[in-house]
Amino acid sequence: MRAVGPRRDEAGQVGGVEGAIFGVLVFVFGTLVVVNAWAVVDAKLAAGSAAREATRSYVEARSASEAGTSAQRAAEEAIRGHGRQVERLGLRSVDGRFARCARVTLEATYRVPLLAVPVLGRRGAGFTVAARHSEVVDPYRSGLAGEASCGA
Amino acid sequence: MLVPAAVLVLVILGAIAVDFSVAFLGQRELTSAAAAAANDASTAIAEERFYRSGAGDAGDVVIDGGRAARVVDQALAARAPRGVTIDGVSVDPSGGQVCVVLRGRVDYVFAKAVPGMADGAVVQGRSTATAVTGAAGSPVEPRPAC
Repeated sequence: MRAVGPRRDEAGQVGGVEGAIFGVLVFVFGTLVVVNAWAVVDAKLAAGSAAREATRSYVEARSASEAGTSAQRAAEEAIRGHGRQVERLGLRSVDGRFARCARVTLEATYRVPLLAVPVLGRRGAGFTVAARHSEVVDPYRSGLAGEASCGA
Repeated sequence: MLVPAAVLVLVILGAIAVDFSVAFLGQRELTSAAAAAANDASTAIAEERFYRSGAGDAGDVVIDGGRAARVVDQALAARAPRGVTIDGVSVDPSGGQVCVVLRGRVDYVFAKAVPGMADGAVVQGRSTATAVTGAAGSPVEPRPAC
């Protein structure tokens, strides 16, 4: 007479397969979320570039009336150059005015979606990265009134 | 065992990515701050030497070390670099050129929780700017090192 062992069903097997499938899914999408963090770093670099170009355009403009427009245009070009959306860009003057020796500080901000993952799309209201740049209007430049005495 | 191991690997990789990104951003921030400060410091020329040759002629364009250092301090204060603690500023003028070297420290976010790991990174930014005369400027040989 042959002994018959206990019968094994497939309950454990199915549970393991589910775990592996969902585990891989979690791993893949989790990796995408981590990679998405680089978008924040990239946005920070883009904002820094925009602030720098805007400030340089501002201090090198030919007149005060042209300075603001020139700065805005330079910031938008810098953001476009990084492949970003101009609509998300903000530019404001923190300090300074268009005058010989004046220190001008501009701040560029860029709104980043909280999460942008393929299939899931863009999620969350996002947050804002900011970068600031400061430069002095050349004391010895032409086209401006006043004396170059800022370093005295 | 596969899923817990994968999640653990994911968390560790994410922590490494975040910490290295923070250090990278700090280094970039310091380099940009050095470039801006050097650019401003290049306007701090010694005026008595510049004007001594009389009206109409520009004299020597030489950076005034004391003024340049003050301008660099003002530039750093205005810019207020974020995410990095500046603990060393070097301003080295030579003729019409000025070299600004900034050293700083960036604190890691996750690595400090691991015993034995460094809790931050030392970063450095360096930039040279040259004061030139004339509308288009005159060609100046850059200094090989500063």
